Amino acid sequence: MRHPPPSSSRWSLVAVATVLAVTGLVLVLRGPADPVDALPAPGSSAAAPAGEGDESPMPEPDSPPGTSPEDLFEQGRELYLTSCVSCHGVGGVGTADGPSLAAAGEASAAFYLRTGRMPLAAPSRQPPEKPVAYDDAEIVALVAYVGTLCDTSSNPCPPIPDIDPSAGSIQEGNELFLANCAACHNSAGIGGALSRGRHGPSLQQVQAQQVGEAMRTGPGDMPQFGPDVFNDQQVNSIVRYVEYLREPESPGGASLGYAGPVAEGFVALLIGLGAMVLAIRWITREREPSDG
Amino acid sequence: MADEPESTDPSAEGLVPTGTTGHHHDEHEEPGDGGSPRLRQTGGETLPVVAFLLAMVGAVAFVINYIAGNNTQIFGVAVFFMVGGIGVGLVAWAKRYMTPAEPDVEPRGRIASTEEEIAEFKADFDVGEYELERRSLLTKLLVGAATAMGLAALIPLKSLGPSPNESFKVTPWTNGKRLVDEQGNPVRATSVNTNGVITVFPEGDIGDEFSQTLLIGLQPGRLVPVEGREDWTPENLAAFSKVCTHVGCPVGLFEANTGQLLCPCHQSTFDVYAACEPTFGPAATPLPQLPLGIDEEGFVVALGDFSSPPGPGFWNQRQP
Amino acid sequence: MSATDGTPRSTRTAAEEATGRHGLHLPHHEHHEHVPVRTKGARVARWFDARVGGARIGRGALKKIFPNHWSFLLGEVALYSFLVLIITGIYLTFFYDANTDITTYQGSYVPLQGQEMSNAFASGLAISFDVRAGLFVRQVHHWSALVFLGAIALHLARVFFTGAFRRPREVNWVIGCSLMLMALGNGFAGYSLLDDQLSGTGLRIAYSVLISIPFIGPWLASLVFGGNFPGEDIIGRLFVIHILVLPVIIGILITVHLTILIKHKHTHFPGKGARDDNVVGERLWPTYTFKAAGLFFIVAAILGLLGGLAQINPVWIYGPFKPENVSSASQPDWYMGWLEGSLRLMPNWETRIGWFTIPNQFYSGVLVAGVAFGIMYAWPWIEARVTKDREEHHVLDRPRDRPWRTAIGAAALTWFTVLGFAGSDDVLAVAFGLSVNALVWTFRIGLFVVPLIVGVITYKLCQELRDRDGPFVDPLLLEGSSGPNGNGSATNGSDGSEGSSGGDDAPDLDLDPDPEHATRR
Repeated sequence: MRHPPPSSSRWSLVAVATVLAVTGLVLVLRGPADPVDALPAPGSSAAAPAGEGDESPMPEPDSPPGTSPEDLFEQGRELYLTSCVSCHGVGGVGTADGPSLAAAGEASAAFYLRTGRMPLAAPSRQPPEKPVAYDDAEIVALVAYVGTLCDTSSNPCPPIPDIDPSAGSIQEGNELFLANCAACHNSAGIGGALSRGRHGPSLQQVQAQQVGEAMRTGPGDMPQFGPDVFNDQQVNSIVRYVEYLREPESPGGASLGYAGPVAEGFVALLIGLGAMVLAIRWITREREPSDG
Repeated sequence: MADEPESTDPSAEGLVPTGTTGHHHDEHEEPGDGGSPRLRQTGGETLPVVAFLLAMVGAVAFVINYIAGNNTQIFGVAVFFMVGGIGVGLVAWAKRYMTPAEPDVEPRGRIASTEEEIAEFKADFDVGEYELERRSLLTKLLVGAATAMGLAALIPLKSLGPSPNESFKVTPWTNGKRLVDEQGNPVRATSVNTNGVITVFPEGDIGDEFSQTLLIGLQPGRLVPVEGREDWTPENLAAFSKVCTHVGCPVGLFEANTGQLLCPCHQSTFDVYAACEPTFGPAATPLPQLPLGIDEEGFVVALGDFSSPPGPGFWNQRQP
Repeated sequence: MSATDGTPRSTRTAAEEATGRHGLHLPHHEHHEHVPVRTKGARVARWFDARVGGARIGRGALKKIFPNHWSFLLGEVALYSFLVLIITGIYLTFFYDANTDITTYQGSYVPLQGQEMSNAFASGLAISFDVRAGLFVRQVHHWSALVFLGAIALHLARVFFTGAFRRPREVNWVIGCSLMLMALGNGFAGYSLLDDQLSGTGLRIAYSVLISIPFIGPWLASLVFGGNFPGEDIIGRLFVIHILVLPVIIGILITVHLTILIKHKHTHFPGKGARDDNVVGERLWPTYTFKAAGLFFIVAAILGLLGGLAQINPVWIYGPFKPENVSSASQPDWYMGWLEGSLRLMPNWETRIGWFTIPNQFYSGVLVAGVAFGIMYAWPWIEARVTKDREEHHVLDRPRDRPWRTAIGAAALTWFTVLGFAGSDDVLAVAFGLSVNALVWTFRIGLFVVPLIVGVITYKLCQELRDRDGPFVDPLLLEGSSGPNGNGSATNGSDGSEGSSGGDDAPDLDLDPDPEHATRR
């Protein structure tokens, strides 16, 4: 005989549904989630600035053959005036919406542009990785320009590092990574929680070059690991190990996202113990006789 | 000797006759009657047969994988069938062929003893109890001796470890001791860039858990020095104990922009530019600070021990 | 010849007297023997019987009744997981090295080659990479530990919600709680043996919680660890504790636990004529034996599948323990998650009287655990005092018939679950892009609000289920009908003990004060 469910269980469902709905609402509305579609199209015109900021002597970027440094500089400046000036100000002096670029340098610019963190539609506690907005030539130009905005008299202005993972030692990289990187990025590189909604990003799909640039520039809350802290060989080693972490050896089977004991607990209880509960229900279920 | 006859005894409760003449293939046999449970058949043999066969296949697969493969996943699947086949077969056998028509019942019996049993026990015990009561001096001395022996026997446990001593509060950091990195190289003041962080130890004590220290390159002008510590941060360098004052995890997470040290274990947060005062989380006391100096050769040295004992608190940590 | 209540008998059977021969019985049609002398099995059985009297001892055992409900097999799932732990554990002890001296790794896992590590960690790597089937056995062992504790928790919940801890089973409840704590400790000791970064972090936390105990804390921690943290002794000591001390204690406690169970006989749910003075179910032989043995193999099979398909505790990724290193997303195994959550959620309160300090982790570590487990241990007496019910009970409660107890139990489980999730707050923050600070506050509030809500909803559910379905009526016990033992009353289980041995009539055990929901007779 089927009974109607008691009203308490209906109210329980309402309560659970409310909690889920509120949680979903909070997740949707939380923090600065920057949509990708608000980016201005590269190359579109913008108001020309009244004057230029202080421009140091032009550096020597990696330029495609046939492009002079002056061309790169001009191309970069145009792109900058299109997309970056609204937050970073003319000549990179900074505004209320974006920091000054006087301490940035080429490596920093390359890092932010090649991971898609820049351009950013609105100020954010931590610019997220997004699809890259520019093609390679545009990035080279922008990097060349932004590099000139760096004040070398008071800042290291790290240049784009020469990253060669194959020259590094995976063993040395393992040791240095666990000592210096795991606290924020986790020993498997899945990322970690920082305060107030920021996070050490996952390293499971990063490019070698960007790892090196991040280490040398210390983007956002990341500490800056300069040449006196890690020499180039050590950086190559760490990068090599980070590359390994993209697909570490997992002879034991499904890696459960390397989320550690949290994931293992869920699997043990829901799948392992759950299967056993199903088994004991089968064992004790009374069978009807199939014949007399 | 003649073969055993089949039972006609009604008190033989439903035992299927075994032995030289009996066999198990006739599942419909119902032995005896008169209140005895009957085992009935409620299904076919296919499931248990398949299960046992799969168990054998699994066993073979397990052995082959051991010899020729060593693949952990195949071990798992092979064991699943090898062992699970037996289990499923046994259970299916029980469910199909060993389930009686009616549930069986037995009386529960009495747990507590009857009054007669208790009285008997008491009478037997009283024979000796009289002795204990009468010889009260001997009884008391026996108890005393046993207690003394018990306490004395526990004392060798003290060999397990030393009494807590100064090493719970004092570290190897002294005036003039150089800071060295994990490879043992002394650290130059110029090596630590702004927003840089290195883990350092006292020279000669690399890897010492209690004295592990973070050397940080501060952003110029941002530090709010504590009274009495104005000379502790030459060249915008600051050093703090890396041992979290909550439960001792290394506070390895340096948020360069916000100037905070975040402990990844339980999220205790310390403000580097305010002498590592705790600003969030369960830690109640600041990270102790190490006074720094720079020697003639440009290496960073300590000027003494930490401002307070590092690490988690205990009852007499602050006892002068 | 059938004995009923243990009256003493001569040591030789009547048949032996009749034949004058010890142990050899000639066929005699008066003795209704069913086992012919000739088969090999029968001869072997008699050989043993002549030496241990097995048939006499085991005579009633084959007919013992075990009630057939799925939730009664949870304790067995725990027991069989423990057996798998023993079997796999013995294998692992042949390859594990509890030595913490430093060695240079020469094994086959490339990223760690040439690095310095303890022999203990290196042996863990060897088991995982260089011992054939080593990783499989190691993973089965670890998955079994996680499931072992889950089964214990489920079994404890079943006993709690059905009131199976009441007289005469209070002692077994205490033993069961102790088994849970022993298992918890043994699991913690076990995964700390590998001396990897993750478990070493956990050992540091354990040390710090130990030293927080007033007056004796630092002294106790120094004794356990052989000095300051980390010291050289703890891994070796944990090894002895893990493979000898705790398994022996657990084994003894399980034996006592089962012996008491055999003495009391298992409880049963109302229905099919179940009463306080009988046991309704299936016979030990052959039914229950086959089912129990089958369950053991099924449990082992599931654990084997997990051990092969799902990677667990990849210590090569965590690296060897170094006291200055740490990783984000460091959690203990799931059954310690409640303690981890307590450590994270506690606000930074510390007690200071002059220089005398009671540090923060004493409250969140020692006190919280002490109070929680204290209440758990004392529950049978707490409930007996409140309900004034001191009768024997062998018929179980349906959870709905004890709304207060069920609601409190649901709230307690929720409390532990919220703490467990709080212990994973940084993983949740990364997975869902949330602020970990906001999560801490959410859990701090939720820790009290959510169990309260769950308790209230549970209470209401119980009441409504009882209103909808009415009290349980067992047709086999209807007045006048011939149940298995003749008499009995219709309602059972929802109104208290029936026919209990030696006690007065039990008062109405309905704890619900609302007369509308009082049981109907």
